[in-house]
Amino acid sequence: MSDNNKLKIGIYELTGCAGDALLILDCEMELLDIFNAVDIQSFLMAKSDNIDGDLDVALVEGSVSTEREIEELKDIRKRSSIVVAFGLCATVGGIQARFSEEEWTQNLKEVYGDTEMTHTKAVHSKPIDAYINVDFYLPGCPVGKDQFLNFFTRVVQGAPPESYPVPVCVTCKYNENDCLLNKGIPCLGPLTADGCGSVCPNHDVPCYGCWGPAEGANLTSEYHLLQEKGFDIEAIKKRMSNYSGSKFQEFFEQFKNKESK
Amino acid sequence: MKIVKMKRENLSSFLEAISREAELWAPVKKGVDTHAFQVVKDFSEIDLNYTRTILPPRKILVPSRFNMFQATKTEYTPDFSHVSNKIIFGIHPCDISGLLTMDKFYSYAIEDPYYLESRKKAMILGHSCWPDEHCLCKSTNTHIVEEGYDLFFTDLKDFYLVWIGSTQGDDLIRLVPDLFEGEIADQDIQRFMQWREDRDKAYSSEINFVAMADLMELRYNDPVWAKLGEACLACGSCTNVCPTCNCYNVEDRPVLGAEHSNISRCWDACTLENYSGVAGGENFREKRADRLKLWYTHKLQAYISKYGKPACVGCGRCIATCPVDINIKTVSDSLDGANPDAFWNRLSQEVTK
Amino acid sequence: MNGTQKATKSDNPFLPEPARIVRTYPLTEDVNFFQIRIADMEKALGFSYQTGQFAMMTVLGAGEAPFSISSTPSRPGLLEFCIRKAGTVTNALFNLKENDLVGLRGPYGTGFPVDKMQGKDIIIVMGGLGAAPLRSVLLYCLDNRDQFGRVILLHGAKRPAEMLFLEEQLELKGRDDLECHLTVDSDDTGQWTEGTGVVTTLFPKLEGIDPENTFGLVCGPPIMYKFVLQEFLKLDIPKDQILMTLERRMKCGVGKCGHCAIDYIYTCLDGPVFSYWDVIHMRELI
Repeated sequence: MSDNNKLKIGIYELTGCAGDALLILDCEMELLDIFNAVDIQSFLMAKSDNIDGDLDVALVEGSVSTEREIEELKDIRKRSSIVVAFGLCATVGGIQARFSEEEWTQNLKEVYGDTEMTHTKAVHSKPIDAYINVDFYLPGCPVGKDQFLNFFTRVVQGAPPESYPVPVCVTCKYNENDCLLNKGIPCLGPLTADGCGSVCPNHDVPCYGCWGPAEGANLTSEYHLLQEKGFDIEAIKKRMSNYSGSKFQEFFEQFKNKESK
Repeated sequence: MKIVKMKRENLSSFLEAISREAELWAPVKKGVDTHAFQVVKDFSEIDLNYTRTILPPRKILVPSRFNMFQATKTEYTPDFSHVSNKIIFGIHPCDISGLLTMDKFYSYAIEDPYYLESRKKAMILGHSCWPDEHCLCKSTNTHIVEEGYDLFFTDLKDFYLVWIGSTQGDDLIRLVPDLFEGEIADQDIQRFMQWREDRDKAYSSEINFVAMADLMELRYNDPVWAKLGEACLACGSCTNVCPTCNCYNVEDRPVLGAEHSNISRCWDACTLENYSGVAGGENFREKRADRLKLWYTHKLQAYISKYGKPACVGCGRCIATCPVDINIKTVSDSLDGANPDAFWNRLSQEVTK
Repeated sequence: MNGTQKATKSDNPFLPEPARIVRTYPLTEDVNFFQIRIADMEKALGFSYQTGQFAMMTVLGAGEAPFSISSTPSRPGLLEFCIRKAGTVTNALFNLKENDLVGLRGPYGTGFPVDKMQGKDIIIVMGGLGAAPLRSVLLYCLDNRDQFGRVILLHGAKRPAEMLFLEEQLELKGRDDLECHLTVDSDDTGQWTEGTGVVTTLFPKLEGIDPENTFGLVCGPPIMYKFVLQEFLKLDIPKDQILMTLERRMKCGVGKCGHCAIDYIYTCLDGPVFSYWDVIHMRELI
């Protein structure tokens, strides 16, 4: 706590599009309340007099993809009582983490060739919990406004949210959409964490998973279901792994082993 | 029960008259071929030619999320803003049966005012229907209802026969008595009899609930549950669309910049991963198969022992909804010894290959 | 037109009463004792409950959770709870201080059938947090000592530091109308003068049990039920005289939210106290 008895908060961006940090500034109606409720010590996007001292809560956006980011992240952990993985990239690694170590090495070589990196060294992109303990996860690409405000107000009250993750299908049914999967459209609703309000299916667009994997997602079943509906393995894999970062890799590795048997 | 006759062309005048009394809810087209109950201002939106809405009408009485009360440290102020006078027009017999089941459930032991207040202020205007391939209400004996409505409209093409089920229903008729005829001619009765016979013949699906509670018990460890668990997407859809599901969660939502919280209640589903978790991280039903067992135990066993009949009203929503074919039909068929053609059955063969 | 004010406090079972933390102190490393009084004095005295029942407690901003009542109805006015720091609500509760306000509603559930237990011998077996609901019935029996036959307490904990109400029970050992046996799995203090070993090792100490005339009560960690039930059965105590209390996630306490369902029963309405006969066929039980 700072002198004025307000929680000290830091907002940090690693590798990502900064969309989650931007979302905070996009809470226009609530912005004054947010800034009144807490003491924002560090928020590169919003202010210039940033202090990197001890924090009550650090919101960390983006995946870890350089050695310097590993150091920065570990430093944030050391200084903060609560660390929140803020947004999809921090939670599961994002699009940049969907490649296996092997593929990543190949990609790096293809793009940068033999260029010597002097500033810092690139590493295989990973979610932040690959390096530090994370207290809370707020997935989303970007994080939803309601989701953030709910989380934020709870934390300000001193009681972290009791997370109750559900898949997109739950909200999609509340919105009384016709099930796209049943129509043969490759929707990832059952595999994807809710928080978006089923915005895509609301417009007859299949869910493509941008909130990352839902807890307990049944990959095997959906994978076979899509196969039965006539989609080929590569197309399914591409769709399912797009936003799942590093989380579905293991699943597809298993398949590789099975197929090669 | 009194029955009167109304010419088809009088329907919109009748709706016009009653919609001045309370908020009118009716089925409207939602997707290409799906429907939903919505508040109707423009009567041309109403589509009575529907089989089932995506969500059952319980959503009108207990919304998927509403505030139960506002809390400060010293005061708890109830919030009943979801309760208002409503007329729900166009409900089918299965859904009326669903509400009757909910009535029993929410009044059992300790009354739930959030449902019951809402229910008291809602008038139920039922409407006849025609079955499709998923309708099981004849098997569940909920294809005809004799209670649970204020008025019930049976559509006989150029006229309706209207059952008056309550004094409140009678009051609605009295708003515009000229639209109704007390005399029902013999040929009208013939038409009704014929309609009933044709409709009974139109059912193409059936389900056998005889001894289902015993079969649930006897087949508790049947391998079919593992197959179902393997395929279940744990998406909660079967639960959310079921007219007799009631589970909910409660959240304390502090209001930013204020000293109070909104205590909000939202639907929950026992088929979801986190449903049976307790403080400290333990989960009593981590396995999807165990959660499905709970759902079916409740539908087919628990309700029978508590209220004398199964909780299924045969609306067919779980059949129309579940992408992997886990539904009341395939599950009870397989408990009954059949080997249904369903994705979950094919998947288990695929996976064990 | 709107029914906004229709259901008022008196007929709304979901509305808590503001209540004050009168006293709180740690019992063990992660379990605190709470004495709570409903702020409205009349309602505080009117809060009548049975042993084994539970209450729902709210911490503003954190949420609501069910807790067994550890005090006895024979001492009205103050409610006592012993609570382990385990989740969001309990974490917030542990941050509160004496005189702070919480919300309270209840009592809920089916308690111990003390009427049926009258005149009978009572064996109470507690382990871990199982002491929370069983302390209520223990104190009730002692407060109404002439209504019961023998009263026997068997209490097991992992280590001396983890035994709930240790001082209180050591004091009770002095009574000649209570047979009190305490044990720990292992003594890491070197000061422990009571038994060592799991709680079932205390059963051989029981002599002259008249099973038809005995009620066996058990509450503790899941593993304990299995072994203690076997001991009760070995003593030939009838299945409907073996009583246990169960714990599940609950969001309402009144049979509506569905979370505490086990097979076809609701823990909050049909329990939390069950006889072994009630639940013998339940697969999801322990």
